[in-house]
This record gives sequence, C-alpha cells and structure tokens, in this order.
Amino acid sequence: MFKVKITDAKLLRDMFQAIAILVDEATFNLTPELIQLRAMDPSRVAMVDFQWPKTIFDEYQCDQPQKMCINISELLKLLRRTAKEETIELSLNPENPRLQIGITGKYTRTFHMPTLEPQEEETPTPKITFKTTAKTTTDGFRQAIEDAQLVSDHVRIEADAEKLTLQATGDLMGATIELKKGSDALLDLQTQEPAKATFSLSYLVEIIKAASATSEIATLQFANDMPIRIDFHQPKEGKLTFYLAPRIEVE
Amino acid sequence: MKKRFIKTQKFASKTKENLWILDLIDNKNLTKDLYDNRDMWAFGQRAGLCVACKGSRMLCGKTRCSLMVRLNSFVRTIPAIKGLEIAGASPPSVFVGRIGYPYVYAGPLVPPVYEDTSLYDLPELWFGKPIDEIIGFRSMLIRGKHRVHVQRYEDAGKIMDMTRELALASSSTDVELALKKRPKGFIVLNDDIQPFGPSAPIRDLRVNAARWDQHIEKAFYDTDLKASPAVLELYDKGVMVTKIQKAFSVGAFGIEKQRRLVPTRWSITAVDSIVSKDMMKQIKTFPLINEYRLYESSYLENQFEVLMIPDSWSYEAIEAWYPGTVWNPDGRKIVMYGDWEDFDGRTTYAGIGGCYYAARLAVCELLMKEQRQATVIVLREARPGYIMPVGVWQVRENVRNAMCQQPMKFNNLEEALSRLSEKFLIPRNQWVNKSELITNARIQRKLTQYA
Repeated sequence: MFKVKITDAKLLRDMFQAIAILVDEATFNLTPELIQLRAMDPSRVAMVDFQWPKTIFDEYQCDQPQKMCINISELLKLLRRTAKEETIELSLNPENPRLQIGITGKYTRTFHMPTLEPQEEETPTPKITFKTTAKTTTDGFRQAIEDAQLVSDHVRIEADAEKLTLQATGDLMGATIELKKGSDALLDLQTQEPAKATFSLSYLVEIIKAASATSEIATLQFANDMPIRIDFHQPKEGKLTFYLAPRIEVE
Repeated sequence: MKKRFIKTQKFASKTKENLWILDLIDNKNLTKDLYDNRDMWAFGQRAGLCVACKGSRMLCGKTRCSLMVRLNSFVRTIPAIKGLEIAGASPPSVFVGRIGYPYVYAGPLVPPVYEDTSLYDLPELWFGKPIDEIIGFRSMLIRGKHRVHVQRYEDAGKIMDMTRELALASSSTDVELALKKRPKGFIVLNDDIQPFGPSAPIRDLRVNAARWDQHIEKAFYDTDLKASPAVLELYDKGVMVTKIQKAFSVGAFGIEKQRRLVPTRWSITAVDSIVSKDMMKQIKTFPLINEYRLYESSYLENQFEVLMIPDSWSYEAIEAWYPGTVWNPDGRKIVMYGDWEDFDGRTTYAGIGGCYYAARLAVCELLMKEQRQATVIVLREARPGYIMPVGVWQVRENVRNAMCQQPMKFNNLEEALSRLSEKFLIPRNQWVNKSELITNARIQRKLTQYA
C-alpha cells in the first residue's frame, strides 16, 4: 500500500515537470522513508537525481519498498488541471496496478492511470572529482544561460578564484557573461584549481527553466572537461540534482 | 540557341523515344547551351537560394521559376494532341494543384492510349528505370483541370465526383476527357511531384466504373475515422504509399465534415510524415543497433549514403548540389542544405522540403523491420547529371533501395566516416561540419563514460 497527500499541488506539478525534461517513463523507488528517482535521458547525456523525504508530504504511507513506473507526461496532463490551493492524493493499491490521483479543491475528482513495467537496473551516479563549487541564485544562473542562448547552442563554463565566466561562441556572434564573487547572482565560489568545460545549451536551458520553479539556489560543481553537477536546493532535505555530460571539441 | 532548339526537336520527332534527354546529358554542346544562357536567369541569383526554393517558393521574387522555364523549353517534344477529346486509360492518376488555395485546380491525368497504364503512376515500380523512360510515359499524361474549393468539392458537380472516384480505382480505368481548349504548356517538372504533361480546363468527363481498392474503399466509407489513423491502417495493410497519397489528395479520408482536397504535393509529404511519425514512436522503444552502419544507393546521378549511429533516435537529412545540377546551375560552389530533428521530433516544416520526409519514411521502415533504434543521417549528393527534377519518389525509392542492401559495419564513427568519404566526391570535413548529428556524435560525451 502506498498513499501520499500533499496540499501544495503546484509544488508536485513543478517537480514532475522538472523530471519530465529528461524522461518520459519514470521509475520511482518508493520506500517507507522517501520517494526517489534516478534516470538518464534517452541519449544518456543528462541525468536527474530526485529525492523527496516523507516530511515534504502532509501524509505519507508506504508499507514496504516498491517500484512504480509511470508515464510522466500523461500524469502532467492531469496535474495541469490543478489549481494552486488544491490538495493532491496519490495512491497505489497492490491489487490493482493503477495509480489513483485524487484532486480536492472546490470539488473532488479522481483520475487513475496505468502503471508500467518498472525499469529494474539502477542508474549509477557518475564518479567525478570536482574542482570547483559555485553557489548561485537559480534566477541569476538562468538569466546568464539565457543570455548565452542568444548567440550559440553551447556554452563554456569557466571558473577561477575570482569569478564564474560563461563563454558562448556562435557562428557569427559571441557572448561573455561574468558572475563575480560577491555579486548578487554568485553567492559563493570555491575553486581548487581553474576549471572549464563546455555544455550543450539545449539541455541546460530546459533543465534550468524547469528546475527554477522549484528552487531559489543552485550549486554548480564541475572540473576540466568533466560532467557538471547542478544541485537545486529543495526544502526539507529534498533533493533535485542534474548531471550533464560535456562536449569535447576535437581538432 | 534557337537553332539548337529546333535541331533538338527535329531529332526527337524522328525517334519515338525521348532520346533528346540522353542526348542532352551526353552532348556537351547542348548542355553548355542549357547553362550558358544567362539572360533567362534571375538577376543577382544567390547560390543556395534555388536549392532552398526548388522552383516552388519563388524566393527569387519572380512569378515563374526561370530555371523551370528553361528546362521546359527543352521538353516540348510531347506527342501533339489534336482536337479537344482525349480518351484513354488513366493509370489511374489525378492531380490537385495548390495555386490559389483554397480554390484549386483538380482533375484527372489521362494518356491518349488504351492499354494497361498502371505503371505510369506507380513510382514504387520505377526505381532503376532511366530518366527518359519515366519522362516518356509521364509526358503523355494530359491533365484536365477544374476549379474547385477544397472543402466544397461536393458542390462542384459530377466532374469532381468522377475525379474522386478515379483516384480510388485499383487499376487503370478508361476515361473520356473533353477539354475546353487545346492542352497547352509543357511537361511539368517539379522536385516534389512526378512530372506530367500539358493541361487544359475540363468541359466534360466520363469515367468508366472501376473497382476500388478494397482497403481504401473501407476507409473512404468510414466517415468517423480520422485521416491519420486511416492512413496508418492502410499502410499497415500493405497499400502502397503513393496510392494512399492519391486517395489522400482527393479528400477520401477523415471525419466526414472535415474532408477536403489536398494539393498533390502536400499530400505526398503529409502521408510520408504521418506514417514515419507513427513508426518513430515505436522505434524510440527499441534497443539500439550494435554497430555503426553505412548503407548506399545510387540512381539518376543521386548518390545516397545512409549513416546509422548506435544512439537514441534522431534524424538528419543533408543534400549537396553540384554546380550544374537542377537547383544549382549557376554556382561555382557545391551548395549544401540540411535539416535535422532530435529524439523529441520536430514541429516545424523541414527546411529542405518533401525529400526530408520521404527519406525518413524509408529509414523508419528498416528500423521497424529490425526492431532497432539508431541515429540516422541521410546524405545525398546530386551530381551534375541530375539536370531534371523527377519528384520526391526518387528520394524515397533510392533510400529504400539503400535499405535493402547489406550495410557495411564499423566499430567506430571515424572508420564509417572515412568509408563514406571514399564514396562521395565532396570531402569528408564538409559533410562533418555541415552535419549537426555527426558533429554531436563526435563531441558530445555520454554520462555513462564517467560511471
């Protein structure tokens, strides 16, 4: 038996939205303590690591660990029908392989949708020694990324002791965006050694747009030509982390 | 120039086959003529503009494509039609124009011969035939036209009813076509549609009762079935893509009130797109191929190389036009043009036009058959001998032919690329730089590499 209740419909919707950026069919691990998901996008370039402890929910009941696989974009269609102040109840009955979605506001409606065959293999976390940790406001980082998107489809992120630099070079235009230590956008910067890596903007933009609805502060970790890890801080020990593999220029 | 033209015509009139085209290709002097007369071309024509336009979008600002006008002047050697009555067996074939949409010209295509003409409108069976044979029988098809509103075709009377019936016929059907004027114009050549002969407005039309294709008939009478499920059902039952396209263009599918005529060239791309989109949905759930693959095919001076990369589904089509080919007659440089989509697909019309979708259909067919997933890049080199567009079927059948061959298999991308560059005249780096997906495969790392 699995049953949770949350009074903030928007929070749940935004979170599923962020996961849906990368995966269509998502396998969640449900344990008595938390809901967890780790999944890569179909081309294995990006990964989402998501975790919500039971304290985020208003009610949480899970008898034993189990897996639940659902089509996230279908679920989002239903969740888009919710208003801000409404309460959502998700429940899974062992006898019936369907997810029940109860939405209570001015009136009550109950949807149900099929669950799918869960993915058995666990997605491993990339093992990386990060050289730089930067703490930014999610909005500040989002603006910087959107600036870069104006001129190119990829961006090089660089860090030295003083600042975080985003360098975008397109076919014709280019952009340099600097976040200096002590500025409003950059809250903290720790660099063991200068590092730089290039990433695809199409992924970055989507990830940040979706995640910024759930989080105020983002921590970036990266190293020379290594994947970047972006931690979007969540309330109450929740976790929403993305990994994105770099582009490595040849010749 | 004029002299030469008269000579060509004489030459052609002596022989029954359209030898002039072969002559045109072989005879350097004639071809030189074709490309040297600059006064007929658009001024300030920019290299690449014509490749993007392909005579249909009028990007140069002229009302008629000057390249097409030029070509047409060489193709005037169609059998002269005497009188206003044309009787013969239609393959069956119909044509719906797009000029003036939603008021379009629609009508049958009828050759003045009584025999089994079904081959005339079955591009699936044309692969391997020389261009002059195809132009030869296509140029016999006289197009009758009748102005009609795409949604109010039922008010257009019996001419339109018969045209629609004809489009659904399963084999060649006797048609008597009475025209208002003598058929005028030349053979119509186009990058999307198969060529056909001169046209004239219809005075009267009589179509012999014909047996319909049973599957198409069922879809036609199912007025609650939406158009795209109807197309998919027919495709699954094995109805040929071009037959579906024909029925699609006369509004044979869809919910009753929403049915409408669809200009032929739109219907071709619509069917290619509907069918391949559905297959892509399933392909995305299949396991990846195990190796890098390269498929090849060459026909009508079009060299195709299809590169498959063991990665999640995405698709790209790039074409390169040599100086001297249809859409790049004036340029000194090769013009390359391409478009692509990622795993999530696309919502806008592909920049290179109908051939993007035709090739996508052909590669999806193979992946469906093998139940595998891959990143697919279709590369096309149109060489100087390709002086005449024959329609998008050439791309579909050429790529289908490539898919029938045993692929060459490679362990890594670089090996596949070097093999590819052996086959192409255009250097490898030009392809690599142009291709969004090859570039991506070379420089984008995977997270799995860091586990």
